[in-house]
Amino acid sequence: MFTLITLYSTIIPISLYVSIEMIKFIQCTQFINNDLHMYHAESNTPALARTSNLNEELGQVEYIFSDKTGTLTRNLMEFFKCSIGGEMYGTGITEIEKGGAERAGVRIDGDEDKRSAAAVHEKGFNFDDARIMRGAWRNESNPEACKEFFRCLALCHTVLPEGEETPEKISYQAASPDEAALVAAAKNFGFFFYRRTPTTVIVRESHVERMGSIQDVQYEILNVLEFNSTRKRQSVVCRFPNGRLVLYCKGADNVIYERLADGNHVMKKTSREHLEQFGSAGLRTLCLAYRDLSREQYESWNEKFIQAKSSLRDRDKKLDEVAELIEKDLILIGCTAIEDKLQEGVPACIETLSAAGIKIWVLTGDKMETAINIAYACSLVNNDMKQFIISSETDAIREVEDRGDPVEIARIIKDSVKQSLKSYHEEAQHSLISTPGRKLALIIDGKCLMYALDPTLRVDLLGLSLICHSVVCCRVSPLQKAQVTSLVKKGARKITLSIGDGANDVSMIQAAHVGIGISGQEGMQAVMASDFAIAQFRYLTDLLLVHGRWSYLRLCKVITYFFYKNLTFTLTQFWFTFQTGFSGQRFYDDWFQSLYNVIFTALPVIIVGLFDKDVNASLSKKYPQLYQEGIRNSFFKWRVIAVWAFFAFYQSIVFYYFTAAASQHGHGSSGKILGLWDVSTMAFTCVVVTVNLRLLMACNSITRWHYFSVAGSIAAWFLFIFIYSAIMTSFDRQENEYFVIYVLMSTFFFYLTLLLVPIIALFGDFLYLSIQRWLFPYNYQIIQEMHKDDPHEYSMIQLPERSHLSPEEARSYAISMLPRETSKHTGFAFDSPGYESFFASQQGVGVPHKPWDVARRASMKKQRQQPQRSERS
Amino acid sequence: MEETSTSASAGTAAHGRQRAFPPARSGVFYRFTQQNLPAWKPAMTPGCVITIFLVIGVTFVPVGLVCLRASKHVTEIVHRYDIDCLPNAYKRNKQAYIKNSSISKNCTQMVKVKYYMRAPIYVYYELDNFYQNHRRYVKSRSDKQLHYGQKYTDSSCGPIERNDGLPVVPCGLIAWSLFNDTYGFTRGSTQVKVNRKNISWKSDRESKFGKDVYPFNFQNGSLIGGRRLDHHLPLSEQEDLIVWMRTAALPQFRKLYGVIEEDLHVDEIIIMHIENNYNTYSFGGKKSLILTTSSWLGGKNDFLGYAYLGTGSLSLFLTILFALIHVKNPM
Repeated sequence: MFTLITLYSTIIPISLYVSIEMIKFIQCTQFINNDLHMYHAESNTPALARTSNLNEELGQVEYIFSDKTGTLTRNLMEFFKCSIGGEMYGTGITEIEKGGAERAGVRIDGDEDKRSAAAVHEKGFNFDDARIMRGAWRNESNPEACKEFFRCLALCHTVLPEGEETPEKISYQAASPDEAALVAAAKNFGFFFYRRTPTTVIVRESHVERMGSIQDVQYEILNVLEFNSTRKRQSVVCRFPNGRLVLYCKGADNVIYERLADGNHVMKKTSREHLEQFGSAGLRTLCLAYRDLSREQYESWNEKFIQAKSSLRDRDKKLDEVAELIEKDLILIGCTAIEDKLQEGVPACIETLSAAGIKIWVLTGDKMETAINIAYACSLVNNDMKQFIISSETDAIREVEDRGDPVEIARIIKDSVKQSLKSYHEEAQHSLISTPGRKLALIIDGKCLMYALDPTLRVDLLGLSLICHSVVCCRVSPLQKAQVTSLVKKGARKITLSIGDGANDVSMIQAAHVGIGISGQEGMQAVMASDFAIAQFRYLTDLLLVHGRWSYLRLCKVITYFFYKNLTFTLTQFWFTFQTGFSGQRFYDDWFQSLYNVIFTALPVIIVGLFDKDVNASLSKKYPQLYQEGIRNSFFKWRVIAVWAFFAFYQSIVFYYFTAAASQHGHGSSGKILGLWDVSTMAFTCVVVTVNLRLLMACNSITRWHYFSVAGSIAAWFLFIFIYSAIMTSFDRQENEYFVIYVLMSTFFFYLTLLLVPIIALFGDFLYLSIQRWLFPYNYQIIQEMHKDDPHEYSMIQLPERSHLSPEEARSYAISMLPRETSKHTGFAFDSPGYESFFASQQGVGVPHKPWDVARRASMKKQRQQPQRSERS
Repeated sequence: MEETSTSASAGTAAHGRQRAFPPARSGVFYRFTQQNLPAWKPAMTPGCVITIFLVIGVTFVPVGLVCLRASKHVTEIVHRYDIDCLPNAYKRNKQAYIKNSSISKNCTQMVKVKYYMRAPIYVYYELDNFYQNHRRYVKSRSDKQLHYGQKYTDSSCGPIERNDGLPVVPCGLIAWSLFNDTYGFTRGSTQVKVNRKNISWKSDRESKFGKDVYPFNFQNGSLIGGRRLDHHLPLSEQEDLIVWMRTAALPQFRKLYGVIEEDLHVDEIIIMHIENNYNTYSFGGKKSLILTTSSWLGGKNDFLGYAYLGTGSLSLFLTILFALIHVKNPM
């Protein structure tokens, strides 16, 4: 009985594993790693596949979880615009505005000449307005305000200068790139901060006394009131060489506005308008303010500050309280706008991915406003969408928070989250029915998410978020990113993909099925944790729509084909069993059986796994809808396998019965009779020929390697059998096959059968394939039909896409042509990766060792020394 | 072309760097990595499908006709004799009859030739329900012994490996169960000569069965399976054995017995003198005697012709059907 069962062991293709591994390995190392479309020439970074067993999942991704900073955006902060004393400076246009304009149908002509000669573009600074460059600000209406503005930029920060102390060669190390951008801006405005000692900041000021004068001024930094997420502002107290004591403060608009002195309403109002404009253009804003301090005021405050600083309990809280005492009655100087630059091609990429049926979630540590802003910019969210916002920043919650009872806070937030989840869910379902075309977006912040992820609310959250087309989670910790990812991964049972660049994305990258790291910008943690590393977000299009889709198609084909060829082979054996009295006699020689998968049918399927293409790469990207076949898993359904199995069944019957019928009669004019081994060799020949030809029928593109491998496999069989049956060895049972093939080839019958059997066997498949293509075509087949007359793509030399928007071009458009967003939100700078990594360290995720960590430590040291100084003075 | 110039510049820019990336912009390997190998894209368009069906139809129908014609030229006389050769007294007790060596097993049957049969006429015996492809049966032989002699008797021959401690040549179940019915033919009063030479494949005769290997200790056991062999003939000349030892694929099989080298005429009565020795009664097997002519294709085999004809005409039918659909409803 057991002998009988072992006969069918060939139905389990052990070589499948080896073949698939080989195919995947080559797909990764040769195709993904070498693809010029995913090669970033500027940073010389090709794509990198770090694991070779997820290729096909790349073709089935339905949910993408993306980090924002460094992934969607470049993490490149550039000082872009500013407003000083109620006057707006800076004439650039952001990518976001451009994207909005393009969607609104306004054509912006890229004209390089519009840039003024004063335009400067360097790291952290991308500003174009001759009115305040090169000392020209002296002629503006408010030179004093300008001076304060620039000083504030040059003094109020925790940046460390590095390198040679010349404006060209210096580089700034900062906790957040925003800060570095602000200091770089000060430098370009003629306030060159170049040296920091523990207690002083030295600034080389130009044009202050008169045009063209340059002088080094040493400011004594008395206190630094550091930035944190609750304060949302940062202040320094400094003493001018002439003894003037000033507090410079910069921070989020609402925080600064609360602390302004009365008066000057006109300027406050215009600045507020400017802030809104900046915000809607996707810029990150900060308000700058200052306050002159009298010596007594400062001394009395400083005592409290030292006390607070030396207290052992609740030091942070006390420091914040002390800071409140001095950060009031501020005078507004103006505001800055920093562009958080989108990565190249992000909006287009996201649009393509959405068209491919992929849902993109943005999970970011940034503020809600910033996150929404970027979501708008990337066309993830637009005004036509119904937006569900679940935020903890409501009055009710804030009120409870002020009371400070943690249990009460938790209860209130949970209730409100529960309530909004339920009502939104109902609304969403209702909207699905009433207005089916309408897209939905969910925006939720970290605090609410914490409660929404609670097991009792999880189902509602999942239900709601799966209905929504895009989801934005802001202020989330790395752990929450991972939780959201696994919520969808487990809840929706769909393939998920996480993409991120920083250490704070590591947990998310690991939680998803496929993890992608952006290589090149921020440390290596994300890349080390990822499965694939690409240099730019936009390469996702190629990675998913081209490589992923092809890999999926190829592997589906390889697996189903393997299944088919082994089933066919084994079934012929199965039919034979019925006629051997179930004794377990093998139909085929042992060597045939062993080499069937290893030699006679091995190579062609690998070639198909490597080379098969339904449509070429550019069409794959042009018709992202093709990707949905992968999401739906159209090529590896039971139906598909059943069709293969049915034809395997049919073919095996043809192979067995057609050849077995031959043993009944004499063949050839000598009347001699064929034996068991003659029949089995003939059947095996038919199987090998047919199965190899069947593969060619399954191919969408046939290269000469296909011909070589298919012809080679069939030739290998004949070569093998010619040699094998020509020799007589003493090995077990080999004599059975002696001279068999020559006996067969001496009959006409053999040739007639060899012509007849493969054609009858493939007749069914051919009929099925042609009817299927004719009447029920897959999408890719329609695209093939549409483009079948295109010139072959290999006749054109394909190129890596060059960046069609160079940074220079990006600034070249007229601002007046832009439609303005009506949204009232303003961006807020300081949401930086450094800030996110603060969460990361709390959640136990390793933070990369970054330059600004050093800077931060330096600033701490400095603070400790300050009190002593002030006492002495 | 604008594209080529940019590509060239990108290529040179990359060459300046340390890593050899991107790969050289020419050659098969470049096209391989960029997945851009020249390829033929077979699209099963209706026109293509129709053409293929047409080609199949046009080639297969004639081939089928030729095969059928060849098969129709073959005439075949099949005569089952295992029942007819039982004496009436033993109809109910076949075993007693066949096992009793004292009863004569001779049996005379008559057949009438319906069609003219041109020499050579092949004489086959056909066994049914005889599992020559049973696993234990198939492996119970030693090709080494058949070729090199009794020194090479090995355990693969069980259960007929040794007898009284001496090796059996040829060993194994297959040889042991050698078919032992014999046939003779007369037409009128003249004997029809049956040529018993050259009935096995030449390769078997010359390479698998030794020229200096003689039967030894064969059929000496308590159970006699089948025919005894002439101890003075080497195995390579025992053609009945050689034919028998090429085991059949199916439980119903024919084996060549001999060749009649004279024509048989229409309405001639052939008397078959059968010695009905082989015990097929114990397992319900059937025995038949077959006289057949042969064509270039072999024996009577309509199956191949009909298969060709069927496939061909189905193809032609589909050609017409698809063409009609295509003309009426072009894509």
